[in-house]
Amino acid sequence: MLTIYGVLRSRASRNVWLAHELGIPFRHVPVMQAYRLADPDAPDAPLHTRSAAFLRINPNGHIPSMEDDGLVLHESLAINLYLAKKHGGALAPANLAEDALMTMWSLWAATEAEPHTIQVLYHRVGYPPEQRDAAKADAAVAALRGPFAALDAALAESGFLVGGRFTVADLNVAEVIRYAQPAPELFDAAPHVKAWLAACHARPAFQRMMEERAKEPA
Amino acid sequence: MITLYGVHRSRALRNIWALEEMGLAYRLVPVIPAFRVPDPAAPGAPLNTRSPEFLKLNPAGSIPVLDDDGVVLSESLAINLWLSRRCGAPIGTNDLAESARFAQWTLYAATEIEPHSHAILMHRVQLPPDQRDEAKVAAAIAALRRPLAVLDAALAGDGHPVGGRFTVADIALAETLRYALPAPELFEAAPHVKAWLAACHARPAWKLITARREAEPAI
Repeated sequence: MLTIYGVLRSRASRNVWLAHELGIPFRHVPVMQAYRLADPDAPDAPLHTRSAAFLRINPNGHIPSMEDDGLVLHESLAINLYLAKKHGGALAPANLAEDALMTMWSLWAATEAEPHTIQVLYHRVGYPPEQRDAAKADAAVAALRGPFAALDAALAESGFLVGGRFTVADLNVAEVIRYAQPAPELFDAAPHVKAWLAACHARPAFQRMMEERAKEPA
Repeated sequence: MITLYGVHRSRALRNIWALEEMGLAYRLVPVIPAFRVPDPAAPGAPLNTRSPEFLKLNPAGSIPVLDDDGVVLSESLAINLWLSRRCGAPIGTNDLAESARFAQWTLYAATEIEPHSHAILMHRVQLPPDQRDEAKVAAAIAALRRPLAVLDAALAGDGHPVGGRFTVADIALAETLRYALPAPELFEAAPHVKAWLAACHARPAWKLITARREAEPAI
């Protein structure tokens, strides 16, 4: 039985989206980020990323983590690559070459896109207004122009990243690119990215995850 | 036939290390980072990351790139995970759970270690002294304390992050942590990491490729 640790208002969203896509049952343990709690050490505090019980699962104190028949795994994108391959089907690589490309796009998302997309989110939406720094948001948008052009070119042919179909590579990259949505200027300059992200977000499994996410306390 | 585009003085080194550890035959095409070439667009300039013939292969203009009989990959750490699956044990693996743990440590190296270790390298060694910022080094060291403690605990068992043997997970971690060596205080606090990195660097394949790296022009 699969267990996913982490609230949906975190990178655990990508794992829950994938589990819904695969139609697999799982236990969801909504571990909360410690920094979101006023007093994480209070006796009645909910399970969080600095709780001793969770640090035994992931000593980094990061969400998400997963446990699947004894395999404990961290790193949201690695978790998705594993789950897709374990359960197979259209979302998973059909061969080793597709596996390599899906891994490449996941690392591309983690290294080329996410350090900047998260800054767009923080400094245009996530932080309280007095902590936002427009210059940091603008620098992140500038840094994303090249990656968005590369992604746009990759999507131009089939509308998907690997194999001409929606796969775990699209899901992993879409979840990283979602953080840049507060910068619509990036999407206006990359029409294939814009259409692809809209198609990803029209999928019933994504919408189900987002509905569940909206019910979580903010 | 495996062709690797890049030079030893770049992130291609981690792929060269994996290829040598696996004993795979490969051709190395020395593509130099454009920022190291005085006039990368000049006629007669050495092949570099802004050369039109390289941009045809990788429009992003970054090295390394691997072409393995038509499978063309960028992202150095993804290339090593591909070589892991292609070659299998002992350096790689074909086991699903083990390959998932390789991917976990590889993504950890890319996201939790490399941004900070790279800042240490830049601001203690690579940038001209007047451009170095010791406050950035201090922030990077602070950010690396927990990852090094986690890795130290992971190595305390059998000396390796996965499978009790040297694998591509060791290469990913060792090559990203190497950039933090100009901050020896980090390693003093993590004795298993220090001993493990020394053991990685005592391997014959590492000695071979670093000798070649030293012989490579530093332009």
